Amino acid sequence: MSAEFVVGIDLGTTNSVVSYCRLDAETPEASLLDIPQLVAADAVETRPSLPSVWYLTREHEAAAFASALPWNSEPGFVIGEFARQQAAEHPERTIAAAKSWLAHASVDRRAKILPWQAPDEVAKISPVEATRRYLQHLVAAWNDAFSESPLDQQMVVLTVPASFDASARELTREAALEAGLPANLVLLEEPQAAVYAWLADEGDNWRRHVNVGDRVLVCDVGGGTTDLSMIGVADHDGDLSLQRIAVGRHLLVGGDNMDLALAHFVAAKFGEQGVQLNPWDSVSLWHSCRTAKESLLAEDGKDSHKISILGRGRSVIGGTKSIEVERTEVAALLTDGFFPLCEATDRPLRQRQSGFQQMGLPYETDTAVTKHVAAFVHDHQPADQPDQAPTLVLFNGGVFRSEALRNRMLAAFTNWFPTPLVDLRSDLTERNASLDQAVACGAAFYGWSKHRGAIRIRGGTARSYYIGVETAGLAIPGAPRPLKALCVVPFGMEEGTQTDIPSQEIGVVLGEPATFRFFSSSVRKEDQPGQMLSQWTDDELSETDSMEAELPAGADLEDPFVPVRFQSKVTELGVLELWCVSTNSDGRWKLEFSVRESTE
Amino acid sequence: MNRIFLAFRIFFGTLFGSAPAQQVALLLEGPTEEAKPPQPVPEKVKPSAPSPAAKKPLRSEALTLLAALQREARLVDLIQEPLSDYSDEQIGAAARDVLRDCHKVLDRLFALQPATEANEGSNLETPASFDAAEYKVSGNVSGEPPYHGQLVHPGWKATKCDMPQWQGSADAALMVAPIEIEIT
Repeated sequence: MSAEFVVGIDLGTTNSVVSYCRLDAETPEASLLDIPQLVAADAVETRPSLPSVWYLTREHEAAAFASALPWNSEPGFVIGEFARQQAAEHPERTIAAAKSWLAHASVDRRAKILPWQAPDEVAKISPVEATRRYLQHLVAAWNDAFSESPLDQQMVVLTVPASFDASARELTREAALEAGLPANLVLLEEPQAAVYAWLADEGDNWRRHVNVGDRVLVCDVGGGTTDLSMIGVADHDGDLSLQRIAVGRHLLVGGDNMDLALAHFVAAKFGEQGVQLNPWDSVSLWHSCRTAKESLLAEDGKDSHKISILGRGRSVIGGTKSIEVERTEVAALLTDGFFPLCEATDRPLRQRQSGFQQMGLPYETDTAVTKHVAAFVHDHQPADQPDQAPTLVLFNGGVFRSEALRNRMLAAFTNWFPTPLVDLRSDLTERNASLDQAVACGAAFYGWSKHRGAIRIRGGTARSYYIGVETAGLAIPGAPRPLKALCVVPFGMEEGTQTDIPSQEIGVVLGEPATFRFFSSSVRKEDQPGQMLSQWTDDELSETDSMEAELPAGADLEDPFVPVRFQSKVTELGVLELWCVSTNSDGRWKLEFSVRESTE
Repeated sequence: MNRIFLAFRIFFGTLFGSAPAQQVALLLEGPTEEAKPPQPVPEKVKPSAPSPAAKKPLRSEALTLLAALQREARLVDLIQEPLSDYSDEQIGAAARDVLRDCHKVLDRLFALQPATEANEGSNLETPASFDAAEYKVSGNVSGEPPYHGQLVHPGWKATKCDMPQWQGSADAALMVAPIEIEIT
């Protein structure tokens, strides 16, 4: 491979960042790629991050925008800062949070459904295509800056949420390859990337901060999502090694919820004074709240803070509305609302299911991040050591730039665990800015250390996977045949390994697609390949996209059925593959995700 | 009528004569290998890369900077407002937000830093030779540099210059802020 650079791409829910370093560097110094993007209708700037927002241009804008970027871009849409600004005023023409749609298994992610619930005149695209377009912008920015070293010839590490299941990862890979990323692209879990960023910052000193048996809780709270992981420290041939033990669910709660909550609170205060805010004011208010949030949360900040909405017209002083906000009120709203001190046994409120609920993104009903963390820690206690608590914590994501929120999280832990958790980023105040770039930098460092054979977090698959098998037996009219789940991939199956699943033979009809229901679990860690589950709870196993294979009808075979067993494989690049292997011939057929709504 | 006649002439001409056929091919498809006239083709000027000195830019970068400060921080609105109409408190409330956002813009575009790390009031010596734009000496200046004195102002220096690239049309070259209209 002639790759010159290792490139880490953090394709974020709200912002994307690209970091890179030379593969032959002795000590990796990650740099950030400057990404050209429209920042106004008539201006292009390069910025270190690209807001992951897509805006469908109107016809009168299209011609001017198409030629604005340094490269030839497809006309008709804009990605980046200008698109982000448009999102506030034209939500029906913009797509944000496409990444969360990728993980939303109850919609068809290859169907043109975004912008969600947009009027008919808006040409829609699929979540996969939106993801491809964001990535294409990043690829073009790279190729423009490094025309001698095109991105498809570099070593590329793309991060995904740890909570992404196999089909969401596969869809991300599909979009990435279409966008022009190299086929040997590596997907890395974001919380792991945050750990790599910490390892890169510490250099060889990292071993001093951890001991064998330590468990690191990684809390990554970004703009739109919360992603949790547990990393264990083990002894590996006399050296310390890191192993990813558990990953959390995909939680749609983050810093944007906090900005919005503060904006609603302040809008209500304006209302008490008889000042009605129009929609434009609300946009401006959201901006003021975003910037005011940090100083309002600072523990040694002023007791009250003035939040202003500048007049919309030319008269910026005369039109300004402002209001005093008490720091204690804001602390109560944000710190207690999102990070309440709670018991280790507290759990987030369940999503309320209503028959009339609109099928948008499944935003969390309960915004208490601490309770989500408590549930995660509890769900992933090792069965043989129920008391084993995490000993270290690594904060990541823009929300934790606020020292007050880091301290609040640490305070919550003191109620839960016998010994206080050590904050691995306790020296953070110096480098606050890096918390929203850490994932990209960590991804680049991972690629570099993989190339060098240096420290690597062992993990394997983050979940165990099951194929649904209908049990044979007499059919009872009106009742479905009982379903059993055959474990085909155990938790933690390592990259570069494959397993033949011991099971009874399963008959597959030739010449028509064979579809299997497919399940995953992030909590059943003891199940071995071939194990057949006949009972499980909804919490344990969740159904994901079904898998299918079409076995060609062979003329020489008399039997329309072919008996198969399953074989599972995790490639060196971390791609999960399932195969049907014929037991009476040499035939092998790969199962692919059928990412479609089951109602179709 | 003339065109139909011409079309017939071309049709039969190209069908039966090789010279007219070549000429028609040239007309329809541009020059082909056989049809190319023997004389050397003049060097093509690359349309994508005009020489930078050739044309005066449509718009001054100063206006682009002003537009960015207006767009992101409302600076022009603030400066154009008649201050005598308002109390200090009213001005302060608006100015606080405008100044905060101006700082963000300047920081992003220029990453301004003090030109020297020395503290105000400390002693500082100039180099033996310096540019008048780098050091401004006042007071009892006599003799040849280096001069020795007290630091009054550490200066400001841009550590980068990432100006937005303006992309507008000639008609909009003098616009600092667009006319805003809300369709109801």
